[in-house]
Amino acid sequence: MTTLKATSRVPSYCYQCVAGPDLLRVEVTDGVATEVRPNDAAAEVHPAGGKVCVKAFGLIQKTYNPNRIKTPMKRTNPRKGRNEDPGFVPISWDEALDTVAARLNVVREAGLYDGSGFPRVAASFGGGGTPTAYMGTFPAFLSALGAVDMSFGSGQGVKCYHSEHLYGELWHRAFTVSPDTPSAELVISFGANVEASGGVCGIRRHADARARGIKRIQVEPHLSVTGACSADWVPIRPKTDAAFLFAMVHVLVHEIGLDRLDVPFLRDTTSAPYLIAPNGYYLRDPATEKPLIWDATAGRAVPYDTEGADPALIGPFRASGLELGPDEVRWEHEGVSCRTAFDALTEHVGPYTPEWASAICDVPAARIRETAEAFHSHAHIGETVEVGGRTLPFRPVAISLGKTVNNGWGGYECCWARTLMACLVGGLEVPGGTLGTTVRLNRPADNRWSSVVPGRDGFMDYPMNTTKKGEWTTQGKSRHAHQALIPLAANSPWSQALGPTHLAWMMQKEGFDKLPKPTPPDVWFVYRTNPAISFWDTAAVSDAMANFPFTVAFAYTHDETNWTADILLPECTDLEGMQLIRIGGSKYVEQFWDHTGFALREPASEPQGEARDFSWISTELARRTGLLEEYNSAINRGAAGVRLKGKDWDFSLEADKVHSVEEIWDASCRAASAEVTDGAETRGLDWFREHGFRTKPFDRLRWYLYPAMVDQGLRFELPYQERLLRIGKELGARLHEAGITWWDRQLKEYEPMPHWQDLPKLWEDALEAGFGVDVGDYPFWLLTARSMQYSWGGNAGLQMIHEVAKNIAGHGGVVMNPQAARKLGLKEGDLVEVASPVGTTRGAVVLRHGIRPDTLLMLGQFDHWKTPYAKDLHMPSMNALMPMLLDLTDATGSGADLVKVKVTPLGVDA
Amino acid sequence: MTRWGIVADLNRCVGCQTCTAACKHANATAPGVQWRKVLDIEAGEFPDVRRSFLPVGCMHCDDAPCLDVCPSTATRKRADGLVTIDYDKCIGCGYCIVACPYQARSKVTQPARAFGGEQMRHEAKREDPARLNVAQKCTFCVDRIDAGLARGEVPGIDAEATPACVNSCIASALHFGDLEDPESNVSRLLAENQSFTMHPELGTGPGIHYLYDRDDNEGSQGDAPIEGDPEMVAEPVGMGGVVPKLQRAWDWRAATNFILGGTGSGLAVAGAVAGAPPVVFAVALLHVALGLFAVWLEIGRPWRFLNVFLHPARSWMSREALAAMPLFAFGGLTVLTGHPAAAALTGVFGMIFLYCRARILQAAKGIPAWRQQGIVGLIAATGLTEGTAALTVLAGLALMGGIAGVAQVPLAALCGALAVLVAVRHAAWRAYRRRLGETGAPVGAFEALDGAALRLTAGHQLVPLALLAAALVVPGATGAALAVSGAALALASGWAFKGVLITRAAFDQGYSLARFPARGAGKPARGVKPGWSLS
Repeated sequence: MTTLKATSRVPSYCYQCVAGPDLLRVEVTDGVATEVRPNDAAAEVHPAGGKVCVKAFGLIQKTYNPNRIKTPMKRTNPRKGRNEDPGFVPISWDEALDTVAARLNVVREAGLYDGSGFPRVAASFGGGGTPTAYMGTFPAFLSALGAVDMSFGSGQGVKCYHSEHLYGELWHRAFTVSPDTPSAELVISFGANVEASGGVCGIRRHADARARGIKRIQVEPHLSVTGACSADWVPIRPKTDAAFLFAMVHVLVHEIGLDRLDVPFLRDTTSAPYLIAPNGYYLRDPATEKPLIWDATAGRAVPYDTEGADPALIGPFRASGLELGPDEVRWEHEGVSCRTAFDALTEHVGPYTPEWASAICDVPAARIRETAEAFHSHAHIGETVEVGGRTLPFRPVAISLGKTVNNGWGGYECCWARTLMACLVGGLEVPGGTLGTTVRLNRPADNRWSSVVPGRDGFMDYPMNTTKKGEWTTQGKSRHAHQALIPLAANSPWSQALGPTHLAWMMQKEGFDKLPKPTPPDVWFVYRTNPAISFWDTAAVSDAMANFPFTVAFAYTHDETNWTADILLPECTDLEGMQLIRIGGSKYVEQFWDHTGFALREPASEPQGEARDFSWISTELARRTGLLEEYNSAINRGAAGVRLKGKDWDFSLEADKVHSVEEIWDASCRAASAEVTDGAETRGLDWFREHGFRTKPFDRLRWYLYPAMVDQGLRFELPYQERLLRIGKELGARLHEAGITWWDRQLKEYEPMPHWQDLPKLWEDALEAGFGVDVGDYPFWLLTARSMQYSWGGNAGLQMIHEVAKNIAGHGGVVMNPQAARKLGLKEGDLVEVASPVGTTRGAVVLRHGIRPDTLLMLGQFDHWKTPYAKDLHMPSMNALMPMLLDLTDATGSGADLVKVKVTPLGVDA
Repeated sequence: MTRWGIVADLNRCVGCQTCTAACKHANATAPGVQWRKVLDIEAGEFPDVRRSFLPVGCMHCDDAPCLDVCPSTATRKRADGLVTIDYDKCIGCGYCIVACPYQARSKVTQPARAFGGEQMRHEAKREDPARLNVAQKCTFCVDRIDAGLARGEVPGIDAEATPACVNSCIASALHFGDLEDPESNVSRLLAENQSFTMHPELGTGPGIHYLYDRDDNEGSQGDAPIEGDPEMVAEPVGMGGVVPKLQRAWDWRAATNFILGGTGSGLAVAGAVAGAPPVVFAVALLHVALGLFAVWLEIGRPWRFLNVFLHPARSWMSREALAAMPLFAFGGLTVLTGHPAAAALTGVFGMIFLYCRARILQAAKGIPAWRQQGIVGLIAATGLTEGTAALTVLAGLALMGGIAGVAQVPLAALCGALAVLVAVRHAAWRAYRRRLGETGAPVGAFEALDGAALRLTAGHQLVPLALLAAALVVPGATGAALAVSGAALALASGWAFKGVLITRAAFDQGYSLARFPARGAGKPARGVKPGWSLS
């Protein structure tokens, strides 16, 4: 372990949430970590001046928390369940590691896949991938194992921006989407709670934007902290955002009109001029099978990429050509009338007037119209700006979507309309406009530009899961069947974890007809996640994990998930372990840097008790399972964050040897240093210990995808979704051929342009059908909102976080409008029971005027019953109230945090 | 000259509490103690609602009430405007806590244990025993400022020399610098933006300024009126952290001191005027002594009690302590000798003591029910009434017991005087209450004062007056009994009033937001003062 000086400032980072990492220094006195500070030296390279999020200040208490598990432990009670005390007893590291290794060896001998074709080993990590910033070389060990099922989620699909991830990547390499805040003039935010979820970079960018006078209109049922920081608040009815957005598209297309939209952008950078053949697929050139456009100058249909063509946006036109349907169906057309995609859009949004949306959204039509007009007037159509030596369109308007808006049913509609709005004013992936931040489903995952690969029809390629006959299979390698059900979920290493992860849990309870027989994993690794609290229908999830035969939990404290574990391994927490990670570039949320490089997490404290560095644990597991060579090779390939061998350097580890934690990271530091300096420097661990990070400039031009698209002559696949229409038909055919009909509802989402469906009613119908209740008995919509102090941090058991979070209203209670409370005879602080058809929770009433009378809000999810400290706070959680239903699962496999509830007074909270 | 201050840009602040947490780290404050924090404030009714975040902490005021009241001179003000506390001098009386209208001060009595049990390693490492049982508050990270200046750095510009809260602010909402330097970062911000300070009506000259709008914000040209004092909202919801709270620094022990000290000093005055025998003065001194003993039990560092004398120049608590010296000296002399001159001087210093006590309350600017101008007359009238009532009781009981000569004046005269004093006290109460209603006060203060079982209202005071009047016309023991009853009731009224005033009506100032800030291109709006009302 590192020798600590008497008083020092140790470099580290906080990557507890996807909006990180934040670079920090930890003041250490006599070996005790005493204070977290921003790393002021990072001010020059970090987008928020090197500042550190509030959650990072919980790390010292996290380190010295007396409730930590400080020795390896094993379960002595073979029965599992909430009411079964596991009887954990301390054991030695040797016994713990040998037990795990022996189990893994048994599993490996039986074969990597079980009788159903699923990996015998499964692993679950929380926090949107951020645990990899703390698990050291464990990914290399998982790689050495060969096959690991990541499909048991801890919230993915339900608690994430799921639809946005999938459609965003499809349309503009946008796993997450962000306004170009530093340049934007107007942001219309549908429930995007960036002031709570944007991290220090997001908050700084928006604060700077406000200081220069940006207008942000916050459209959401309750006045979140982001709403508080916005110029306007529009209290929309829950889950009706799609109607508002459709009406905005209507205003632009029908009231403002094409002439005042960004015609060059639509014409040259989108599929708006593509001709639609009678069956709904593109009309194509029979020779090349390229989609046709109408060349207004030549007066005939030509392939979309014809040099010098003048694409017409408004038809129809009579043309001949080939139409390609699903499963290679071909139609030859002669002189048929074809609309352009823009024509189709115009017709499609015709009925979606502001007046129509007003009744649905409970927002005056004039306000919807004003919002759309403001979006158009602030777009500066026609203006350009110089970035990195290139002239790009300047469109300082953007729309952002929040959780429950951009996932679950309605997510497609909202994502489509939002991205389309950007296209209509030429504001997609250009300065000031709507940008993607990172890629996860396309490759390479660390570079958006490099992932811009030409595909068919002038669009970017996309790694869909196949829907082709003969190739499609139900025998996927994950327990949630993402390959069989979700073409858009793609096939990257992230796809499993993104999955429709609730299906994996649902299938444990009851398998789905015609899919492989559900099996529990033989070994389940759990780290930094607590799905027994953080998922939908937590009771069902807890029951499922109680049936897993052998669970290994890297455990910080006892919690509701590791309650079912067989082995608890206490790993070094954030301030005790060592790791080197990549920083900078453009990442999740609003992480747009002008630099890129690496940062070190240097131990700021000796490990408490017998906690061990995660990389030491990984190396020991590799050694004891006989996988040392594969493990070291994986590290050399970059599984621990950086490839150890480059074009002019080689710091590869000897494959057959055990390497210390410091040796591993020293090699990583040297390789990272070489990578950043193109081989000029090979600084080791000592240099990084002193300096903390090493970066190089990252060209701001790379924030924008537009240049990469233009350079390759590619178009954004909007407004018309011919590809989705086709794969939807093919998927339906495959499923029906396999006798699967329980996914039929989801198949309806594969529309070329989404129609409005009554989303609130969809939820109500699902509850009535699923539970036989009269939904009229459940008058409130229950929503949640992000707490910056808590979210992702796994810190519900930290006193200091609880203390400071309480300064923000709503934490720990049931937020309710006073008008609604009055009708129920409730006042501030009264204890209530909130019940959905599936469960109940309790909490004290917090009255706020900033919430619709038909809506309740619970910040975060806090119904812990085992996590020390947290279990004594008696805070409510909506998770136990959320039904895990197929009916509430959209075609991307996602749900949304939304349920109808009723409130019963329980008397005054003492 | 330098005047360090903070400028908080409310357009930028998102209420993240990073500054709150950074302060807790930098200053190792105990669980539950926040030298600074960010409030979450809401106003309006659905759907026309505003919400804003307001960073608060010690304002390092120009004219700091805490500085004036501190009897030990532990609280000082540096030339650069920083208000400091000498933990080794502070007696932990809590006076500064009730004097601060920004609720910036606190007192910790136990070592930090966030999870109970043993202290965590970092808690033990950073525990500062000197900070236990004394007043503590934000220092503007004075050590960082001084060390930075010594290194030639500029606080507010150089990170290491800047208060932790400001240096941690992720929204760049907090700025620190020299308010006296027109070229400083903070001065420029104040020059280019609209700003306010909190509770300007109290004349404290806070060192934290809040920006609420840019001078060049075109969006500000709206129709909504933003001028005027913040709107008092009597029944705000969801703002438990913002509304005035009952002060906890002074509890029943302080109330006992006010009750017994007032009665005792009033009795000394009444005894002197009435030519009472030495035993009456003994009773008076006993009251005062018991009161002081009660409050001695309350102070955090009781064995530093002599420090109470160190600030007679400005602290009414020091002055009261000093007045107590001759009061006890001459009172003791009176008890021993019965000399009229000693008795007269005892009365004089009793009156001074009583006046000091009234001024103690008035100087507590953090408690709206105490700082009202009429409080001095009311407390003085109450003390004199109680003293006279006590004397009347003693005289009446003596008469009933066949002991003559408790006072040189007849019982009837005592009754008459007491009746007049009861009326005067009632008038003082009315004046006080009327003024309180005019300036406004925390709703809880009104409820406590108006809801007490025994009050100084006309309705309640007519009973003792009637009894005293009856005593004047009814002769003998019956009359004496009536006098005792009336006086006892007058006495009890005063005690009840002070008990309520100190423990139940003593809501702190709470917080107010003078203007809701313009957010980006939005418009500012009139502010709010939650938990307050008029009348």
